[in-house]
Amino acid sequence: MSKGTVVLTGIGSGIGFETARCLLSEGYRILGFDIARGRFDELSGDCTFVELDVRDFQRQKEAIESEARSHIMTGLVACAGIIQRRPYLELDEETFDRHLDINLKGPFFACQAMLPILRAQGKGSIVLFASSIARTGSATGAHYAATKGGILGLARTLALETARDGIRVNVVSPGVTDTPQPRGHATDEELYAKAAKVPLGRIGQPQDMAQAVTFLLSDDSSYITGQDLRITGGAGLF
Amino acid sequence: MKTVLITGAASGIGLATAKRLSATMQVVIADRNIAGAREAAQAIKAQGGKAVAVEVDVASKAAVTAMVKEATDMVGDIHALFCNAGISPKLPFEEWSEADWDSVIHTHIKGVFFCTQAILPQMCARHSGAIVTTGSDYSITGHPQGSGYAAAKAGIYALTKSLALEFAPFNIRCNSVGPGPIETPLLRKGKSDADWAHHKAKRGERVPMGRLGQPEEVASVVDFLLSERASYITGQIIHPNGGSVMW
Repeated sequence: MSKGTVVLTGIGSGIGFETARCLLSEGYRILGFDIARGRFDELSGDCTFVELDVRDFQRQKEAIESEARSHIMTGLVACAGIIQRRPYLELDEETFDRHLDINLKGPFFACQAMLPILRAQGKGSIVLFASSIARTGSATGAHYAATKGGILGLARTLALETARDGIRVNVVSPGVTDTPQPRGHATDEELYAKAAKVPLGRIGQPQDMAQAVTFLLSDDSSYITGQDLRITGGAGLF
Repeated sequence: MKTVLITGAASGIGLATAKRLSATMQVVIADRNIAGAREAAQAIKAQGGKAVAVEVDVASKAAVTAMVKEATDMVGDIHALFCNAGISPKLPFEEWSEADWDSVIHTHIKGVFFCTQAILPQMCARHSGAIVTTGSDYSITGHPQGSGYAAAKAGIYALTKSLALEFAPFNIRCNSVGPGPIETPLLRKGKSDADWAHHKAKRGERVPMGRLGQPEEVASVVDFLLSERASYITGQIIHPNGGSVMW
């Protein structure tokens, strides 16, 4: 029996793709969004792809509402995000806006589209993606850090607003993870070299994040809301 | 089948976790209350699980050392550890005696210290292990009338993070679970039925989710943290608290 539909943004690659694979194996149906199919066709199971940019809030809302007309909705996982590193003084408004729109405003309106549906069902779980950078900061990532810090505030507020409606809202904050995203500004060698600074001695794998999302969507986390799971291999403890 | 040792396992969160983990692991039920520990082990065995009971006061190094020896003699290797034994006296600060303070600090911080120190060597030798300690929301927020408890729980969290860093090279993960208000004998202690019903409603109202948590809702988090599903998570505190504290 299906465990209902999980709406997942950024399904085409990286953590989004791996999370979809993990959730499909657990018996969820997936409605996946991305700007390109990417690896979507490698997925097997009950999943539908909608090509859309999370900045197209209206189409995102329509796709969610259309799905809800014929399926039980279990939750939302907002993985879509970008990072284009810039020294702070070289950061132009266009780059800043693009990060804000994709990383924060997209999830904001995806949550707004999902909440009435989950409220009506009396149950649901939302997982947003921040980053360990939300807390630690990162040189040349001021704009990215600001969007991810925003995710923490958004998630906590939504958690408070929906706690009595059977809806839980939590965050996953990965450390450095082996996905296409950091490869925009780092070679394989540079990326794997970061393992030396991680107490567990390796960088994160998309699977590590996927399993945390699966936990947060399940009833195993039924008393957890407003929390941030920092999956960093022990890096950046405070 | 792997083995987990749980302290404070005769009741509340420890007992719920023992029951949950007994589906996949052999469980050592360690408690000061040996009669309760035996009863818990019996209940798990009646459900087809594997469990043994051992007596321990975790505040005593000699008792912990003897308990771990007794346990390993019975069950062999211990692969996972849940340091959960705790007490929670509530007193206005000026009424805390040195004995009250010592008993809270010793049971919590020294308890974790002694138990981890006794079991880590075998985990290091196997280059594998997972440890969860029981912190509390109060390790982050503090607690009026629970000064010793809050200090002890904050100490446990700092100790857990240090162990996470020191033993990560041995592929051993150490995390903390920080429960909010959970319906346990510890929370209920000393309250009549009427008082308890009143307390439950009033305390639950202060939780964003509007209710107290169940021990099983903490047990499922401990299960997650001890499992391979959390293989990249170490040094963290996860709060099953209904949204009470977010940070």
